[in-house]
Amino acid sequence: MTAALVAVGLLVLVLVYASWIAGRLDRLHARVDAAWAALDVQLVRRAAAARAVAAALPPGEVAAALDAAARAALDSGPAGREACENDLSRALRNALPVLPPGTELGELETATTRVGLARSFHNAAVGDTRAIRLRRIPRALRLAGHRALPQYFEIDDTANPAEGRNMAAGDGRST
Amino acid sequence: MKIGIACPYTWDVPGGVQAHVRDLAGSLIGLGHEVSVLTPVDDPESAALPTYVVPVGRAVPIPYNGSVARLAFGPLSLTRTRRWLREGEFDVLHVHEPTVPSVSMLACFAASGPMVSTFHTATARSRALQVFGTALQPALEKISGRIAVSAAARRVVVEHLGGDAVLIPNGVHVSQFENAGPLPDRPPGPTVVFLGRIDEARKGLAVLLEALPELVRRVPDVRLLIAGPGDAGEVREAVPKSLRSRVELLGLVSDEDKPRVFASGEVYCAPNTHGESFGIVLVEAMATGTPVVASDLEAFRRVLEDGRAGVLVPVRDAGALAAALADLLGDAPRRERLAAAARQAVQAYDWSVVTRQIVEVYETVAGRVQPTGHVDVDAELESLAVLLAQGDGNDDDAGRLVSTLRRWLAERPRLADRS
Repeated sequence: MTAALVAVGLLVLVLVYASWIAGRLDRLHARVDAAWAALDVQLVRRAAAARAVAAALPPGEVAAALDAAARAALDSGPAGREACENDLSRALRNALPVLPPGTELGELETATTRVGLARSFHNAAVGDTRAIRLRRIPRALRLAGHRALPQYFEIDDTANPAEGRNMAAGDGRST
Repeated sequence: MKIGIACPYTWDVPGGVQAHVRDLAGSLIGLGHEVSVLTPVDDPESAALPTYVVPVGRAVPIPYNGSVARLAFGPLSLTRTRRWLREGEFDVLHVHEPTVPSVSMLACFAASGPMVSTFHTATARSRALQVFGTALQPALEKISGRIAVSAAARRVVVEHLGGDAVLIPNGVHVSQFENAGPLPDRPPGPTVVFLGRIDEARKGLAVLLEALPELVRRVPDVRLLIAGPGDAGEVREAVPKSLRSRVELLGLVSDEDKPRVFASGEVYCAPNTHGESFGIVLVEAMATGTPVVASDLEAFRRVLEDGRAGVLVPVRDAGALAAALADLLGDAPRRERLAAAARQAVQAYDWSVVTRQIVEVYETVAGRVQPTGHVDVDAELESLAVLLAQGDGNDDDAGRLVSTLRRWLAERPRLADRS
């Protein structure tokens, strides 16, 4: 009798714990989704702004490379996204020194700053989620359901025309 | 946007976090946002209370982190916090210092929806985090965007909470400082200004007093203007009798007089020994155009841009301090150059700039594309399409971008709803 009571008690405890963790995970996944949506918006925005800048460049290798990189970033699927966005950062870095004076950079500055912000917040959300999901009990009980383990989004987004006066863009490194 | 701000410390007691929240709320309202601030208040009937403040009740003094903090934590505060959240229907909730056991932490536990937090403290060891770190995690993990006001505060976040925070500095109303004139009836002679608690060792007044005899030897008519609360008698004791006539103690100065105190000096001196997270006073002095000589602390080095916008001296080195002050007092062109560089450097700390950066964070976590009001999706798509079409006249490309944008819009029901 006592043994049965203890067993039932333990089961209740495990269930309460499991539902609490599952609730937290649910919320965290929603946070990751929202953070990714925000990051996606800003990445698209940056690529669109980069194309506008490419159009303002004198025709040549740099302009063509920037335009190609921006197109590739806009077209890329989830798998190649990091690589494409990184290529775009590199193309931007090459293009910024040779811009004709007076090129309109406001949109690109804003988008780049916000990519930095959104990426920092996204990676923080991923970090918080992974911290729980990789624990032993949530993993054993499959409390995350069928959700894939969220992945960090690591790109170099420091190629900002506003460099130096831009305090907001943290370098977004996540541990 | 509808913005809810939670401030953990008692509103009508002076403090850095309260000042930050007050200025931020004012700037946000100036930009047309709707703001409500939840905070403990000692005197809810006070006429000085801004209309955007919602009192959560009185705070209880609790010994915390080596000093006495006045905090609001308990069932009644929680009920009021919940009601504030429910009635506010905020687009973004901004909690300050959520690891301090007060309304910010309560709001963190009670809220759902987009949340931003600002970390001010640079205390390497927060007792709450050490003891309750694990218990706080479920509340803290709801925060979508973390802000730290300084590199030191950011380091605390990284070390104690994991993950990162974006750096957005403290703000200053530069315009309130930049045109300040000196105090009336100033005696002649070059003046060095010190501002800060005179009996708090880490503010470093002792180092400055130690440097005084050497400074007088090199600049015979120099004067020292000291502003800040504390025991004036002790300070006088520390100065040799022959030099006492050169030292002027103003006591605590009002916010209105502060810019004029800076403007009364040829040089502002910040001989702090340690424990500075940010250096807002330096920014204020720089905004008045008074050249700064400061200890070479990490926070100060940042504000002074590695010495470009002010002079850095080794920490606790009275000899070096006297030399640096004397050199600068004897070199008017250099003072002018430093003042010009400083005036330029402080623009980054003006509330207009800082608030814009904070709003960018709000928009990022709230999933807003436009700063305020309606998101007109069709108009936005069209303008982007036009932008592309003008780029190289290729309609194919515009179509591709539009389809990309449609794709993400489809995935974002919240945004689509607004259209």
